[in-house]
Amino acid sequence: MSAEAGASRATKTYRQKMSAGWWTQKRHYFLYMVREFTALPLALWLLWLLYEIYRAGRGPSHFYAPTSTAFVTFSVICLAFALYHSFTFLSLAGVILHFKVLDKPVPSRLIVMSQFGLWLVATIVIGAVLIGFGR
Amino acid sequence: MSARVEHVEHKPALAHLFWWFMFAQGGVLAAILIPVHILVQGILGPLGIVPVVDRHYDTWISILGNPIVKLYLLVLISLPFFHFAHRLRYLLVDLGVPAAKTVVAQVIFYGVAVLVTLLTIYVLLTTAPISLG
Repeated sequence: MSAEAGASRATKTYRQKMSAGWWTQKRHYFLYMVREFTALPLALWLLWLLYEIYRAGRGPSHFYAPTSTAFVTFSVICLAFALYHSFTFLSLAGVILHFKVLDKPVPSRLIVMSQFGLWLVATIVIGAVLIGFGR
Repeated sequence: MSARVEHVEHKPALAHLFWWFMFAQGGVLAAILIPVHILVQGILGPLGIVPVVDRHYDTWISILGNPIVKLYLLVLISLPFFHFAHRLRYLLVDLGVPAAKTVVAQVIFYGVAVLVTLLTIYVLLTTAPISLG
């Protein structure tokens, strides 16, 4: 009788209850959440850059170069998150990408090093343009 | 027992492939390009340590007119937003907001990335006339 009643009932999915603060329990979980969170400061900084481009279009009388301590502080915080994103994301490439050259798999360390090399080259080239065209 | 023959069609998940590709590309571009911009334009320039192109109106507007620079800025600003959209959606899921997994949430998050792309195109095309000078 009870077995029949049990069979007629709809199957329930077991859902493990997790508190919203589960990620504060372990350092590893916390760093994972920090990695996801990096998107927010980076998005804000890019929107600021877009605004900087828009301001240039409003003519020389509206133009001013930002110098405030608040802006520099905001950039320092964003840079910390940007570097964390770069280190974690470029290191991941060694896990994700698998190549074979002359039938031999390319070691993941080499792939990671090439990603970091690309980052270094891009940094030097872009930095040179940003500084070189300034006065 | 009904002997039902289930015919499962295997279609390539093209939409999934596209968004995943945008997530990965946006992530790589953000990792490689953004730090130097923040360091130079956000810290070194404002502190007066080095001359930077966006510190004066004439140098900034002249480099913004270059079509290659316009194309570069479009890639730099818009593609990372497809990465951010995915990350922030899953940040909400991880913080206990299952609604962030729904189709509506996907439309909103990736829609914002598309809007940022359109806004960037508009700003880049209206800011400085295209010139190679």
